Amino acid sequence: MKNCLRELRGSKEWSQADLADKVGVSRQTINAIETEKYDPSLPLAFKVAKLFKLSIEEIFQPEEN
Amino acid sequence: MNIKPNLPEEIAPGGRQYSFRTDMKVNGWSWVAVLTSFVGEVFWLPYHRGWPVAARMVIALAPLLASLLWVRSVLQWMRGMDELHRRITQAAVVFATVATLFIITASHFLVVAGVFPPRFQATEGFVVIWLVVCFYILGHNIFNRRYQ
Repeated sequence: MKNCLRELRGSKEWSQADLADKVGVSRQTINAIETEKYDPSLPLAFKVAKLFKLSIEEIFQPEEN
Repeated sequence: MNIKPNLPEEIAPGGRQYSFRTDMKVNGWSWVAVLTSFVGEVFWLPYHRGWPVAARMVIALAPLLASLLWVRSVLQWMRGMDELHRRITQAAVVFATVATLFIITASHFLVVAGVFPPRFQATEGFVVIWLVVCFYILGHNIFNRRYQ
């Protein structure tokens, strides 16, 4: 799954650790999501979307075949 | 601000985030299990066959009770992890359990077949716990690498 989490985080000038702290996960989890090695669960995706005041679809997009 | 999730690195000796206190909170009962198993199975039970059955049962089953308490503290610790680390740890625990069962079974069959001498039968409690820990470390390194 593609996402624009790195850009959104950058726009707020937050570090990965800052974002991790805000959504209650580890820095490694944020890094794994940003590098698209890990797809977050629905509750975590909702938390991230709520934090950036966006919908889930605006942050996470399915991979095009 | 949220509560910080538990991290596997907190119980990995030698790491920057290692915490002896957390390690003992999670793995303290494993040390009790190893010690009670080692003392009971190496020094007491083989040489005191005449002891009352109740005493021998307590000595034989004490490591099992400590192991169950260890499993409980590991599960509690895993519940405090974030979703990625919980997934990695679950995979590592399954890997460690399956690999340990495989080694125990294989060593048993090889001893029965006369390929290995009886001392290679890995059924002592403390050997089993060390196998689980070693395979957990190996499994954690393998599964953690995927997400780095």
